[in-house]
Amino acid sequence: MRIINPTFGLAAAGGAKVALKPVNWATDAIALVSNSKPNARELLSGIRDKLGAFRGIDNIEFLSKNSASQPAPKDLLQEVAAKYRGALLAIAD
Amino acid sequence: MIATETFKPLVLAQAKARKVEPRLIVVKHPIGGLNAEELRERIEAATKGLTEATK
Amino acid sequence: MKDIAEQEVIDLDDMDVEAFNDFATEQGWSDGMPLYVPTEAKVAKFVDTVRGDNRPYPPVPPRQIVPTLQALAANAVMAGCKPEYFPVVTAALRGVLDHDYNLHGTLATTHSCAPMVMVSGPIRHELRINCGSNCFGQGWQANATIGRALGLMLLNVAGAKPGEMDRSTQGNPAKFTFCFGENEEENPWTPYHVQRGFAPTDSVVTVMSGEGPHNLNDHGSTSGDGLLTTFAGGMATPGANTIYGKGPMFVIIGPEHAATLKRDGFTIESIRQELYARSRVHVSRISAENQDTYISTGHKPDGDWFTIARAPEDIHITVAGGPGKHSAFIPSFGGTTVACTRIAR
Repeated sequence: MRIINPTFGLAAAGGAKVALKPVNWATDAIALVSNSKPNARELLSGIRDKLGAFRGIDNIEFLSKNSASQPAPKDLLQEVAAKYRGALLAIAD
Repeated sequence: MIATETFKPLVLAQAKARKVEPRLIVVKHPIGGLNAEELRERIEAATKGLTEATK
Repeated sequence: MKDIAEQEVIDLDDMDVEAFNDFATEQGWSDGMPLYVPTEAKVAKFVDTVRGDNRPYPPVPPRQIVPTLQALAANAVMAGCKPEYFPVVTAALRGVLDHDYNLHGTLATTHSCAPMVMVSGPIRHELRINCGSNCFGQGWQANATIGRALGLMLLNVAGAKPGEMDRSTQGNPAKFTFCFGENEEENPWTPYHVQRGFAPTDSVVTVMSGEGPHNLNDHGSTSGDGLLTTFAGGMATPGANTIYGKGPMFVIIGPEHAATLKRDGFTIESIRQELYARSRVHVSRISAENQDTYISTGHKPDGDWFTIARAPEDIHITVAGGPGKHSAFIPSFGGTTVACTRIAR
């Protein structure tokens, strides 16, 4: 018998694989991006303090989504892309 | 990206949908609801994961 | 040979329905209940019912694929829909694909939310969608299978596999199905879809990512004011997402409660205003840690009270159900919207 696949779909346009650029985590500017769940900011803050033992942290800055339940807004993504070489995201729950 | 072991499958599934290979640091679950003492272990583990990944 | 996931049409050896269900479960297509077999012939009958809607579908998050009408119809067949239900299901899908519905967030969250599907207009009677007694419950093929079909689409097309992409901590029985009709005939005010700008003769599907209905029992109050005190008390719950996830919510008023409110001069607008003013949670009912969390994410109390809505407009009102002194509160996921789609026929 012939059936229709209920999961079938076409790939969305622009589906090329995204390559990540290399980051020097010892020197580059880094965004610490919280998903705004409880303790995400505290986790990132603790990591920033620890990183201070072996690198400068003046160029490691905190950013966050407006709401844990909403996607990151475009302006936040653009800010991360423009100002930072690396981004550390905390997915906490 | 820092994710707990429990949420690793979600991260991988979403990354696959977006055709990205995430650089992932996996720590124990949970993060939310931990007190400062409990959270310290996650901070240690995440920092270790980050520094090892950058060697 | 292509992998099964890449084939729209799959050739299988003839098998009985039990064997098909085993196969479908192995493929991850099942919600755990028995499925009908989505044969090419059955799917074609469903596709024929939506010729009035030729708009392409956008990529469906989180999986980000563009579904074909055949694949969508296969889910409706598997759910046990009749072909004529399919335009309602596709309208519901278009609703959850509204950008502000936040489909990705509502599917990947740990919250228990499920897509609430409410049907308004003449199609309710044509399809025998239950709007009266037990409207949220069992016993009606249209209610049961339309909601189920949308759930299967979210599993199979959107990719919301429980424990993987769907991270709900406990889930919710409404994830199996949550579809009902407005009781427009016993609504003393304006039907919901007309409140939203549609014509009374339009048939419309409304979706919201919500919790299951929270019952609002009031047998004792003999006044509209008394009923609103009960409703507001039931809505003022510190455990619902709406206290800090701020978003829309529904109050589905039972017809007898609606009649009392109408008799005492309340309108939909005045009910919203009253419920917004009264449904607040005192700070003493919220832990200090939780208060810090709410405040740090921008949800400050108004004096000693946390509101559960941003504004009266967040509280959506309509009438459904049958005889009895019950109404229902349906809080949403929070970061979502109430999306209405006219059913194209």
